[in-house]
Amino acid sequence: MTENVVRNRFDFDVTARNGDARTGSLVINGTELETPNLFPVINFYAGGTDNSVYGGGIHRTLKEFMIGAERVGVEPMTEYFDASMTSVASLTDYNLNRNRYESYLDTPIKQRPLFENYNGLIFADSGGFKFLGGTDIDGSDFEVEMNQDAVYDIQEAFGSDIIVNLDHPIAPDDSHATRVEKAEMTAENIHTFLSISRGFDGAKYLTLHGYNYSMMSEFLEVITDSVPEGVLKEGFDGIALGSLVPKKDDRDALIRAVTDCREVMNEWGIGHWPLHVLGISSRAVPILAALGADSFDSSTHIHNAINGKYNESLMKRVDLDDADFSNCDCPVCSSDLLVNRMRGNAEYQKDVLGPVAMHNLVVVKDELAEIRRRIQTEDEDALIAYFEETFSHDKTMRQYAHKVVNQTLGGYF
Amino acid sequence: MKKAPKVNEVNEFLEIASDFEDPLEVIRESLSNAYDAGATTVEITILNRAGGSDIIIEDDGHGMNERDLESFFDLGNSRKTDSIGYKGHGTKIFYKSDRIEVTTVHDGTSYRAEMDEPWEKLNNEVLPEYELTKTDVRSGNPGTKIKITNFRSGHGFDAESLTYNKINHYLKWKTIAGSTAHYFDDDQREMEISVVLDDEIDDTQDGLVTDNRLTFPDEQLDPDDSMYPAERMCKHYPANEIAVEYDGGKTTLQIVGMVGGKAARNELPTYGRHSAQFGIWFAKDHIKVERLNEAISHDNEFIHFLFVANCQDIELSANRESIRNKASSVYKAIEEEVEYYLSKVTQDPWFKSYLETRKEAEYNRRTAKQQTSLKERRETIESDGFIPKNKAEVLIALERASSTSRGLSHTVEDYDPTADIHAILRQNGRLRNAAVFPTLTGLFENDVPLKNTDVAVCWTQGDPAILSEYERNGYYGGDLKFDVDDGGFEYENDGRQFVEVIEVSELLQGAAVPAADD
Repeated sequence: MTENVVRNRFDFDVTARNGDARTGSLVINGTELETPNLFPVINFYAGGTDNSVYGGGIHRTLKEFMIGAERVGVEPMTEYFDASMTSVASLTDYNLNRNRYESYLDTPIKQRPLFENYNGLIFADSGGFKFLGGTDIDGSDFEVEMNQDAVYDIQEAFGSDIIVNLDHPIAPDDSHATRVEKAEMTAENIHTFLSISRGFDGAKYLTLHGYNYSMMSEFLEVITDSVPEGVLKEGFDGIALGSLVPKKDDRDALIRAVTDCREVMNEWGIGHWPLHVLGISSRAVPILAALGADSFDSSTHIHNAINGKYNESLMKRVDLDDADFSNCDCPVCSSDLLVNRMRGNAEYQKDVLGPVAMHNLVVVKDELAEIRRRIQTEDEDALIAYFEETFSHDKTMRQYAHKVVNQTLGGYF
Repeated sequence: MKKAPKVNEVNEFLEIASDFEDPLEVIRESLSNAYDAGATTVEITILNRAGGSDIIIEDDGHGMNERDLESFFDLGNSRKTDSIGYKGHGTKIFYKSDRIEVTTVHDGTSYRAEMDEPWEKLNNEVLPEYELTKTDVRSGNPGTKIKITNFRSGHGFDAESLTYNKINHYLKWKTIAGSTAHYFDDDQREMEISVVLDDEIDDTQDGLVTDNRLTFPDEQLDPDDSMYPAERMCKHYPANEIAVEYDGGKTTLQIVGMVGGKAARNELPTYGRHSAQFGIWFAKDHIKVERLNEAISHDNEFIHFLFVANCQDIELSANRESIRNKASSVYKAIEEEVEYYLSKVTQDPWFKSYLETRKEAEYNRRTAKQQTSLKERRETIESDGFIPKNKAEVLIALERASSTSRGLSHTVEDYDPTADIHAILRQNGRLRNAAVFPTLTGLFENDVPLKNTDVAVCWTQGDPAILSEYERNGYYGGDLKFDVDDGGFEYENDGRQFVEVIEVSELLQGAAVPAADD
């Protein structure tokens, strides 16, 4: 009986392979997600008013799209929110007081009437990069000392589907000693995490930090000094590869990290686990998917919108003023109301830029759907053709695309 | 009132003919014309003459009619459309001679055109004329024979410089004889090209026979066991036709090429240095025109490449040595396409392994060289002992002397060879500023300021006569006084300064002698 519960709680099946890329089905508590896929970053909680669960600038408008609120005049865009990434640290974004904090956590997200239309997977990051990354953000606004126990309580209170342990991300200029120290501290958290999360109904991902094979291998060795390998493998369901945000523009580094991570996972006998790459932006996603990453999270669609950028495609962004909405048939650009708003005719900036962020997200999600289709053909030429179409004349990206074609798809010659 | 600008015909002929300088361009021109005339054989004969040479070109093409002959002699009146020569400039090189004779049989008619003293007349501002006669002949056996008498180059053309070797390499590098068309079209007509030189020019062989195909050296994908294992490595990159869209139209780019080491490249004909020859070529009619080596991003890597990127929408300058329409959108589009294609080649794992093999071989050669050099250095130490050759070695010697002698206490705390005061020493617990030189004389030769110098560390004092001269002549307006017994020198200039001299060779010698404790 217990075994059945465990099996239903989490399941990940690889359904097709193409080179190192793979499509899969991630099933958590009966909700299925096709991979590779993107978890858009969503802050489910915002300011300090009664309706603030709904609030939060562009986040608010995105949530309106997600649930199909009357204000945006479109049907719920659930297919683009089949997964979402939120962070425990997002609670710190709006200076919450203790009362608000408690009211936010008294009902899981998906059980709130406001989000009844939402049925995607929620991945709750531990916020380690914020709490422990040397910034002065902590839980003092709402009088909570942020440690592994507190973080897990919040993740659970969110009603999360996927959670990670509280980690200590590394930085590119960390010394060896610092990296080992951070791994040791993370190991302590893992120990705590595994003991307090035994009854968790969802998937647990182990955060892994390192930029190459040796760093990741050493990280796991340090972890298994305090948590036996068997316990680790029993306790976790997937890998969340972290610390890559400072390297997000160094494509070589990203390729190496994902390639080496897959190698380490295979050597540790966890190659069948899903691999999530934390915080990676849209343009690198196809390359990393081709190398075998199964999911990503990103807020790039929002940041681009805030910077006035409209995605014509995954690779091409134009200034919002130059965008031709008639070239796009997404639900946002097909709505006269929303196009009018994107042209600047709205009282609030969130209603101008929110639809742009939603459109940008649609572009990336559609792109991932296309990548999945190409992988499912199991024909290497289909993925090569995708890379040709996507990166062919982008001088900044093409050498990395060539590298991936050579590394995993048999090369050109 | 509208007025039409006028052209000075004579000057135009002179100008265009002068653009073609190299007598080999006569051959280049004739071969292209022969191919366009459907020829399967072309024979070229060059005879030495007092002021230049006679050049005879004979082909079995379909010949020229009267209209074609007009184009042959006219300027800017070609009947070609997009192939090389459509401007009608090339044959004007023949005007740089004493006589042009063209005999051509086309469609049952034989035409003969003769032009006397074309070059002299043009230089006398007279437009030369040609005499055309026409005779009916039996159909069959068409062809053209062109005889250029006493061809002159503007800069004292010397026919003897035209060796078979030079002509062969020129043909393959600059003319249709080096065409890469056959990689794209199995039906490309083969043309046999023979060249015969007067014995006075080159008697090393009876003649030269070649075809109109540039072929790459055989592939060798793996390194060999030689000292330069990548030298003969070679990979072909198959013919690739790419449809290119540009602002205003569509065109086709045909790329074929190879990557190879020096030995492989040497199997190709060469025309000049490798660095001036290999790389990425744009071509028209599959004849190389101008390089785009920027398509290969890394330093000098283009030398390993020979790629020919052909596009018929390239337009050539009048002398055919460069591309004229570089500002056009079609050029920009194909340039981008070539760069993209080459980006794939440079990311090809084979190419990376080729470079890696070269690097490994270089590493191994360096190791071998090191062994030789180290052997010599070790022998020198064994025979002559340790003699510092630079500042760092002086400091090594100082530390060694200190470590082997109980009476000395010198440690090097800091070393900056680019500073005036190179090192900071700890001597008996105190920090001291030290200028360091293999010889003391070096300190003065390098104009080291003395105010902040506590100690001069040197292997030996150096030439005492030089030091005496400094003592005699002074140093930066001050007086120097060397006092060996006091272990240093005094410098007086707005105050008195004593600089200790540590002569390390003596310290080390002293330290090396076993302490006598009896």
